[in-house]
Amino acid sequence: MIETENLTRKFGELTAVDNVTLRVNKGEVFGFLGPNGAGKTTTVRMLCCLISKTSGKARVGDFDVDQEEDRLKIRKMVGYLAGDVGLYENLSAYKNLDFYGKLYEVPSEKREENTKRLLQLLGIWERKDDAVAGLSKGTKQKLAIARALIHEPQVLFLDEPTANLDPLAAKTVCDFILELKKEKRTIFLNTHNLDEAERVCDRIAVLKTKLIRVGSPEDLERSISSRKTVVHLESIVDSVLAAVKKLGTVKNVSTSENKLILDMDDPEKDNPQLVRAIVAAGGNIQYVTEERSTLEDVYLKLVRET
Amino acid sequence: MRFWKSWIVTAKDLSVFRNNKYILYSLIAMPLLMGLMIPVMLIYTLQAQAALLTQAQLIESATSLVNMFSSFFVIAVVGLPTIIASYSFIGEKLEKSLEPLLATPTTDSELLFGKSLGAFIPCIGATYIGELIFVIVIDGWSIINLGTLLLPTMYWALVTGILIPLAGVLSVETNIIISSRVNDIRAAQQVGGIIIFPLIILMVLPSVIQIIPMVTLALILSGGLAVADVGLFYLSKAIFQREEILTKWK
Repeated sequence: MIETENLTRKFGELTAVDNVTLRVNKGEVFGFLGPNGAGKTTTVRMLCCLISKTSGKARVGDFDVDQEEDRLKIRKMVGYLAGDVGLYENLSAYKNLDFYGKLYEVPSEKREENTKRLLQLLGIWERKDDAVAGLSKGTKQKLAIARALIHEPQVLFLDEPTANLDPLAAKTVCDFILELKKEKRTIFLNTHNLDEAERVCDRIAVLKTKLIRVGSPEDLERSISSRKTVVHLESIVDSVLAAVKKLGTVKNVSTSENKLILDMDDPEKDNPQLVRAIVAAGGNIQYVTEERSTLEDVYLKLVRET
Repeated sequence: MRFWKSWIVTAKDLSVFRNNKYILYSLIAMPLLMGLMIPVMLIYTLQAQAALLTQAQLIESATSLVNMFSSFFVIAVVGLPTIIASYSFIGEKLEKSLEPLLATPTTDSELLFGKSLGAFIPCIGATYIGELIFVIVIDGWSIINLGTLLLPTMYWALVTGILIPLAGVLSVETNIIISSRVNDIRAAQQVGGIIIFPLIILMVLPSVIQIIPMVTLALILSGGLAVADVGLFYLSKAIFQREEILTKWK
């Protein structure tokens, strides 16, 4: 649905996006992670035909961002939530959506239907006649999302949809993205929020001007694999420690309070033997858990190394 | 260019203006102020002259004064866009609504035309309402006191039909260009005022000192404004481009 090949954008001497090649499949939620100034918004702006590219190729659907005649078609098929909500403050919520519906050429009846459905879905139908200026930040953000969806776009670009929202409003927005995922819309999600990315994205790309890594959240977490087995004991006694160290499958062992933290090549296969050895050495196991790298660990490692 | 797309933008802007008290009051106050104040000044002057002149001389003097004062409506149509066009463009910048607007399937020209029309319509509308009040009061007074209608005259028709719309377009275009470079509505209005002021002098002063026949003056000024309008149209079109707006507008 979205394809780029060596997509590059320079502003004078500054390279904002450097040779980015990626492919987003139809119906996929694709997360774009990166620090401030990584080029996320610039990439989205190029894909939405808001700014031109310096070099490379980019296609959205069957259309080329380079072709003048395709640009209007791309803008018509995509929905765009910019970093700032950008609503008309002294117009009502309903009038804001109606205006955009008209610009996206949605027929009158469909426009009314979509406006009502979206405002109801986002829980702001009762406030449809209120001027936007009087709405809370979270409600404005919901309204901006509704605006991006008023024409039922096939592709949705969301730039930091939960930035500056309180946890409850952020959760509502995340849940809504998951609802959209069920509708098989292609969603390109720019975000700083790693939990949100992990929760809603099928694949994630880490960008820092250049594309650093692309993969599913699980793949990324595995990519800097540091899965550990953590055994919580009533107390750590020397006999238990000695028994564990004797096991050939344990590469490394460390302790923290009453926990044993163990590096093993194949935990699924070797953990039963480990548990038996601890019990035999007189250890009282409370529970056994797995510690693995989080998306945050991966993200920080990738961004710091680049 | 699809004019219906531009009209959607125009209609939205008109709706925004209707909900903005500052703009609304300006649009109401101006026609009332000019439409009533100018005739009152004029009538006062004519009544002072009435005792000194014959009826024929008084009609000639009144016609000349009415023509001269008609030019003052150019001030209104040039001044109002400094309020409205500034709000139209800087308002979008301040509300950060330009980016979602630019993401819609509309061309740069459609957006520019729609927004320009949105600023032009209230300005020209308010000016014409002011003119209408002016005509009603002047003709009402003249029919009672002079037994004849002072308006319309050829000069007044040229000013109203050609000079005022051209001056309005010029002012809107000038304000679009100013708005692309400043971020503050008041700053835009001040810069707009400074730039527009010489234009007002240029248009009003010759009609006051009457160095050439008034009709010739109106035609010369209209020609000059038409040329300036075309030039500024291309300049504002060059400035109002997606790429420029998102990367260079400050």
